[in-house]
Amino acid sequence: MVLVLALGDLHIPHRAADLPAKFKSMLVPGKIQHIICTGNLCIKEVRDYLRTLCPDLHVTQGEYDEDTRYPETKTLTIGQFKLGICHGHQVMPWGDLDSLAMLQRQLDVDILVTGHTHQFTAYKHEGGVVINPGSATGAHSSVTYDVNPSFVLMDIDGLRVVVYVYELIDGEVKVDKIDFKKSTAPPSH
Amino acid sequence: MFDDMPAVSSRPELPVKSATLDVTPRFKDLRSVQWRIDLGVLPSSPSASTDDLRRVTADYRRRYASLRRRLLSDPHTFKDGSNMPDLAMDNPLSQNPESSWGRFFRNAELEKMVCQDLLRLYPEDGSYFQTPGCQGMLRRILLMWCLRHPQNGYRQGMHELLAPLIYVLQVDINRLCEVRELYEEHFTDKFDELSVHESDLTYNFDYKKFSKSMDSPSKSNENARKATSLSDLDTDVQQIVLLSDPYGAESELGILLSEKFMEHDAYSMFEALMSGANGSVAMADFFSHLPADGTNNSSPPVIEASTALYHLLSVVDSPLHSHLNELGVEPQYFCLRWLRVLFGREFKLVDLMVIWDEIFARDNSKIESRDPDGFAIFGSARGAFIAAMALSMILYLRPSLLGAEIATSALQRLLNFPQNVDLKKLIRRAKSLQVLALNAASTLMAHPLTGELDHRKPNVRGHSMSSDSLSPKSPLSLVPDSYWEEKWRVLHKEEEGLRRTGSEKRAPIPSKKKGWTEKIRASLTRTESDPSPAQTKNVRKGLRATVRRSLLEDLSRQLGSDEGIEDIIPQDKCSNENTSSQDSSWVSSDTSSFLNGAVDAEKLNAIYDDSENYASGESRVPISDVTVDSSLIMALNDNCIDKEEKNVKDQKLLLGKLQWLWRFGRGHASEETSDKGGVTMEDPKPSYPEANQNIETESSVMDETHKPCHSGKGDGQDLNMMGTFKNLGQSMLEHIQVIETAFQFQQERAQVGPLESFSKNVLVGKGQVTAVAALKELRKISNLLSEMTVVALTHKFLRETEGRVRVCTEENSEMAMRQFYNEIRGMKVKDLPSHLKLMCSQDYVKKSIQRGLDNYHAKYIQTSSVDPLFHVCFGGMVFSYLVALPEERRHLEHQQHAKEHGGH
Repeated sequence: MVLVLALGDLHIPHRAADLPAKFKSMLVPGKIQHIICTGNLCIKEVRDYLRTLCPDLHVTQGEYDEDTRYPETKTLTIGQFKLGICHGHQVMPWGDLDSLAMLQRQLDVDILVTGHTHQFTAYKHEGGVVINPGSATGAHSSVTYDVNPSFVLMDIDGLRVVVYVYELIDGEVKVDKIDFKKSTAPPSH
Repeated sequence: MFDDMPAVSSRPELPVKSATLDVTPRFKDLRSVQWRIDLGVLPSSPSASTDDLRRVTADYRRRYASLRRRLLSDPHTFKDGSNMPDLAMDNPLSQNPESSWGRFFRNAELEKMVCQDLLRLYPEDGSYFQTPGCQGMLRRILLMWCLRHPQNGYRQGMHELLAPLIYVLQVDINRLCEVRELYEEHFTDKFDELSVHESDLTYNFDYKKFSKSMDSPSKSNENARKATSLSDLDTDVQQIVLLSDPYGAESELGILLSEKFMEHDAYSMFEALMSGANGSVAMADFFSHLPADGTNNSSPPVIEASTALYHLLSVVDSPLHSHLNELGVEPQYFCLRWLRVLFGREFKLVDLMVIWDEIFARDNSKIESRDPDGFAIFGSARGAFIAAMALSMILYLRPSLLGAEIATSALQRLLNFPQNVDLKKLIRRAKSLQVLALNAASTLMAHPLTGELDHRKPNVRGHSMSSDSLSPKSPLSLVPDSYWEEKWRVLHKEEEGLRRTGSEKRAPIPSKKKGWTEKIRASLTRTESDPSPAQTKNVRKGLRATVRRSLLEDLSRQLGSDEGIEDIIPQDKCSNENTSSQDSSWVSSDTSSFLNGAVDAEKLNAIYDDSENYASGESRVPISDVTVDSSLIMALNDNCIDKEEKNVKDQKLLLGKLQWLWRFGRGHASEETSDKGGVTMEDPKPSYPEANQNIETESSVMDETHKPCHSGKGDGQDLNMMGTFKNLGQSMLEHIQVIETAFQFQQERAQVGPLESFSKNVLVGKGQVTAVAALKELRKISNLLSEMTVVALTHKFLRETEGRVRVCTEENSEMAMRQFYNEIRGMKVKDLPSHLKLMCSQDYVKKSIQRGLDNYHAKYIQTSSVDPLFHVCFGGMVFSYLVALPEERRHLEHQQHAKEHGGH
């Protein structure tokens, strides 16, 4: 059983000062095994903070990241799942499922995590999942101004993944859960 | 050895214990089953049938299975069962500790802690405990236990309590496999037959033959040598077959030795061990930091137990106890480790099993009549045995502990217990000490020990008997003594009124600090016709002297073990002699009493045997005396209720012994008094018993020397000290002479005296040997003293020379300076301008510097301005700039160069 935290688009310090206090109190070291970050942190200090939660941190390049050494896309295998990360500003049109599915096929991953739109979305698509964890700080994006802070926690256990969605709505943390089971046969496409 | 004594088995308060001890254990070869019975997991009554055992086992296994299902569940499985409970509460990041995820993470943390310890569990025996299967089992059991007992939690050491239990189970299962291979035909599926097996053996027999002939003829030939029917087999093999019959009660679940249910069984054993199964000793208590009940005593149980242990030690071996106290070796320093894992760290696994066999065989049920204020560890036979075992270990190390001069070395010895110990001896000693712990603990050791525990309240007698006139709960502080008085009175009424003189109704001794010597003294006043207080005191002194003497023996190691033995021999002889002389009818007239007498003699032999064992290893005279005497007394008093005729005999024996003790003491006392007579002429301080102890004498000497030092101050201190040393040395020498003459005189008297018995002669001779040893010590001290005098002399001489040398060096340095000055005075300044020449003259320079300094002084220092500070700073700056100047110039040049040539 592995817990994977996925978040992105923090935009600290340009659009938000810090993570919401409620999120910060929930994110404690020792529980999470991996952190996936889609990008736009933007400064090094945020990356260091995430490292304190879990040393195994995977970040891709966002267009506002100061550090220019992050890769554009990244894939990793956790348990029986293959995960792909990309910030998403490269995928046009932004947040479009078909375009993202194309990227998913390109990377050949079961779970694709992208960001950039600052809106939480999760699609089950072609035997895989496409997730956008939204903005963890609730920073405004170039398209939307009213953004609820949100992030995603994936509980990967064997062939099954449970996606917990944490969203801060009116100062209350709302938790939602999405179950996904991977079929043993490789996706047919 | 002591178990066979009637003193143990006939004690009324321990009927269960004696029963379990005298009867050989039911499953003596199947340790895991026996332990389960002893620990209270399985029914202990011998009437319980195999089916009963199986049923109980199955119950425990079911309980464990459901517990495991409940406690060690994954959060995933939970989510399926109770669909969508409350996501806000039940998510991986939930802060709520009650949520399934919170529990999951808590378990994970606990598991990590447990695993850390398990990885280091018995690495030397690695093969079994380090296997993944065993590790998993250990981990799950510990985890379950901790979850079941959150108030205890996991503490280091618990895994070491569990490991032997699992090991025992595994050993028995391996044995089962062996037996199964050997007697395969008995393990065939016998569905109906076995239910009637016990009642209908013939039918079973026929079936056996039938089945075998059906199976394979070749095999039957091969097995021809083997027993054909179950009843012909060894009883223990038979037992194994019966216990592992898959069609018995509860079918597979009830198989007592089953690899499948090892974990279940181990858990139930561990649980019983930790909780004590409603008994008094619960291992979990030893791990807790909180006081057991928290009302009257505020220390945790393990600390209390270790204090109890020291208490017992002070009774059994007060010199060792005081020595350890002097060193500052607190009992919990080592008892914590000993008790928490039940000596698991101290012994190899194989030896540990034997010790645990003994521990578990003791009944753990609380003794009702026990004083609630007493030490909890003495509350049951098992606890008393644990304490006795620890004590026996301490006593095993006695010589090296007494030799330890600092706390660290003593602790080193205690914590690195030797591996190659004679386990049987250790356990035997523990058994004899247990008797003392159970009885003497509550009665004799009421005196306060360290003061940290409030046990000053009088402990009441532990075993209250129906005929006891005094209620055991009465809070009177005089109860124990008056109890003994009562006993004696009863005894004497029964026996003969002649012996007891009317005037001996002494007032009960108010102080309770005296231990068993007090009692002996009290009884002596009755046995002897002339009980003058001086003599009784002498007895005590004599006893103390023996204790001290033994200490001396340990230190000097010259007389060693044979003296210990010889010391015992006359004791036994003497007691035998005395009993026979005092009561002529004992051996000859009464045949029935002769039988009893034989028993007594046997007992004596046993005692002698035991004490010889003590003595052969290390000279341990006082301890064996203590155990022997107190157990005898106990035996006496217990018997007196039931069997009165026997009582008479025992009492005679005791009287003889006491008389001997008295005489023994008197011998010493006279020695002592004569010594004192000689000593007091000179100086009352270094009297004989103190001189026995090296350290003490040393300290007293130091005291002596310090006194005059402080009184005579000033220049004459050295002389004073020297004088004191000299005087002391001389007085010591004189003491020695006095003692020598005294002993010679006494020996002569002893040899001349026609009435003195042979044993007395031996005794006196013995005493003299020790006295001679003491004299040697004295001589050593005097040598030391004379050496010290020399040292003091040298010291003074050195001091004087030092002063002289210092003066010399001062003179020397001045001379050298002057010479140097003279040498440079003749040199000339080279040609310079005349005005400068003038200024270069020495006087001028000197004067101008002086003037400048004066000016500066007047201007700044005397006005106490801060300017000098600035000057210093400024000077420093200038200096540093000057130092850095060339570098700076180079840098500037380089910059200039770079500017001219346009970049680099």
